[in-house]
Amino acid sequence: MFAHWSLRLRVFLLFVLLGGASLLLIWGGLWLGWSRAEPAPDPGPFVLGGMAGGFAVLALVTWFWRLFDENLARPMQALAAQMRVLAHADDARPLDAKQAQYLGDLAPAAHAIATRLSATRDDLALAVERETTRLAEEKERLETLLADVNAGILLCSRDHNVVFYNSVARNLLQDSNAPRLNQPVTGCLREGPVLHAYERLTQEGAAHSETQFLCSTPDGTAMFTATMRLVPQGNERGGGYALTLRDVTADIGLHVARETLLSDMIEDMRRKAANLDTLSRLREAGDDPVERALVQETRDLASAVDRFGARYNETADVWWPRAEIAARDLMDSLRARLRSEGVAFAASHQPLSVVCDGFMVVSLLAQIAVRLRDAGHGDEIAVAIGPGDGAEEALVTLDWTGAPVALADLERWLSEPLELGQAELTGRFVLARHGTDIWPETLDAGRARLCLPLPRVEETGDHDLRGAVYDFSLFEKSRVAPLVDMPLDDLSYVVFDTETTGLLPSQGDEIVQIAALRVVGGKLLLAERLDMLVDPGRAIPESSTKVHGVTQAMVQGAPGISQAGRVLHDFAKGAVLVAHNAPFDMAFFHKHADVIGREFDNPVLDTVLLSAVLFGITEVHTLDALCARLGVVIPEKDRHTAMGDTLATGTVFVKMLEMLKGQGYATFGAVHDEMKKQMRLYKR
Amino acid sequence: MTEETDTVPTGANILLVEDEVNIALALKFLMERMGHVVTHIDDGAVALEQIEALAPDLVLLDVTLPGASGYEICQHIRACRGLDATRVLVLTARGADIERRKALALGADGFMSKPFEMADLQAWVTELLAHPREV
Repeated sequence: MFAHWSLRLRVFLLFVLLGGASLLLIWGGLWLGWSRAEPAPDPGPFVLGGMAGGFAVLALVTWFWRLFDENLARPMQALAAQMRVLAHADDARPLDAKQAQYLGDLAPAAHAIATRLSATRDDLALAVERETTRLAEEKERLETLLADVNAGILLCSRDHNVVFYNSVARNLLQDSNAPRLNQPVTGCLREGPVLHAYERLTQEGAAHSETQFLCSTPDGTAMFTATMRLVPQGNERGGGYALTLRDVTADIGLHVARETLLSDMIEDMRRKAANLDTLSRLREAGDDPVERALVQETRDLASAVDRFGARYNETADVWWPRAEIAARDLMDSLRARLRSEGVAFAASHQPLSVVCDGFMVVSLLAQIAVRLRDAGHGDEIAVAIGPGDGAEEALVTLDWTGAPVALADLERWLSEPLELGQAELTGRFVLARHGTDIWPETLDAGRARLCLPLPRVEETGDHDLRGAVYDFSLFEKSRVAPLVDMPLDDLSYVVFDTETTGLLPSQGDEIVQIAALRVVGGKLLLAERLDMLVDPGRAIPESSTKVHGVTQAMVQGAPGISQAGRVLHDFAKGAVLVAHNAPFDMAFFHKHADVIGREFDNPVLDTVLLSAVLFGITEVHTLDALCARLGVVIPEKDRHTAMGDTLATGTVFVKMLEMLKGQGYATFGAVHDEMKKQMRLYKR
Repeated sequence: MTEETDTVPTGANILLVEDEVNIALALKFLMERMGHVVTHIDDGAVALEQIEALAPDLVLLDVTLPGASGYEICQHIRACRGLDATRVLVLTARGADIERRKALALGADGFMSKPFEMADLQAWVTELLAHPREV
């Protein structure tokens, strides 16, 4: 109830209460004394005394109240009001010193807080303004780049609505296929391939964030090779995506005609040359040198045509978009297609990946499955993807109980268009573009199947390194200042680590592995990396292999230190070298400077010494301790590998750069000087 | 293919399905010199029609043929009960591994890509005729 009353009012009421209580006590005492007196005295003097005492007490209480009000309550209320103003309006004027003289250190303390808050606000506003400007400039540059890049680009939301398209995309997609902002992308591109690609990329456990496929406009007037790349949203995969389009409409028609011509020509030539060669082998050449020369030339001709044919096969399909697709993803897409076609089927797959145009292959398999059903080949088709003949092949099979397919029927089905908007895109065309074929087989127990081999690959895991690498602030950065005056963020760094045969470079130990990452603009660039094994030219002790996992067999055929050193030197050109315990790693390169043929005279920063600068020399400065202190987690399997430790060192280095700047070490010279003071750490 | 052949079979009934006239002539000559009886057909569709009646011991089969492909003929042979014992040797200028696998999957007993040495062809023919398919 009293909480909303002001301090002064509450103080006033307190003194009123005090005055009233004092009057009651005085009058109560006088009444008690008068009533107990025998015989009863005249009340006049008691009343007079009570009134005089009462007035005196009231005057005293009033005087105290005024003092309290003026010197304490009013200044406190003013201070509170001013702090409220500061909290909401950023006005940090100091309180009148005379007015607040009885508040002791409260007023100066409040003023200090106010000043600090105001300064923080100013800094924050400045930082926000600077960052907003930078982001706006980067956005503008990116927009310009996207607009001018010589490929059609569409950015789409997770709901497949268009949020951006560039002028090239506008030119590629015209009339009824034209892109419209906030309208479904399926208005300008056929739904199937786009949704198929998106579902594959966003599936749980999907290994890739980019895929390539072929798609056409809904009306089939244009055909594109498309690259879809997911746009990350926080930690989720299911954000929007970017589509890059290349028009292959003319290519397809031209290609089909040229491919047909070329393959027919090669087939004919190969056939004729092989026949000629076969005939020449039928008869003995005898001693006639002309006849022997004729036989030899015939053989050479046949070999040349064969080689030409092989080269044609290798290069004929390089323009065709293909992607690495997990068998599970391919099967999921096929399952969806077959369900929609009402085909009864059972599906199974093994954990492997195939290389193909997923949508095309799914369309082909779905079309064949539909034809099988329509032709009465069994009630249920079992589709399976498993290993094929050798490590580089996967085999897709469609298996059923019933009669095998006649090849004539199969060829007829393969000659039909795959309903992709282009008459040229037949099953046979898709098979030829994948350099494969499909054939029927008769199995035991009245079963039959179709076999389709596809190229198979191992997962590489490197696909998320494909993102654009940029630092637009490099446009503004000056390169003319002396190194010592260079701001920390304006320098390029190469963080590196080596694995070795032992800890004594001066006693014959050598490098077996080098890894390096670049840091530019305060960012660790995972895409700009060096990771190489090095032949140490000596045996690797088993005890060392246990630490870093590099065996003698692994370095067989790897470059020696002379070549590896040059590679690192080139990679680190113009950069500051950064390593954890840098003197150890640098000793190996200085030792071999002659055979490498380069001087490693780059400036060097050592994260051990930087740690001593930041956390004090008495702390523990191992890489593990540093990671733990800065919240950097490196998977255990990566620890003590060159790249794992480089990643750890790079990550803590980037964090330490921020801390160094925060402590006022703005330039390389300042950091280097301070780091040198910690050199005694190595002498302990 | 194994090298062990105790006796060289002769007098076998061989069907040669080949549309290249010169190759057909040469192969026919070679097979007849080995002592076999050769019937030559240069059209796939005709071969499909006549093969059951001919019931050959061995078919020398080209893949690229007018009328029907060698693969179709191969599949047809394996589907005919009367031709269970017939051996099929595919001879083709298409030397890709996928062609060989397709031919063998469709029931061919052997696959030779052109050009081939005559000695190899003779060895194949002898081997296949010496070891008829188990019916």
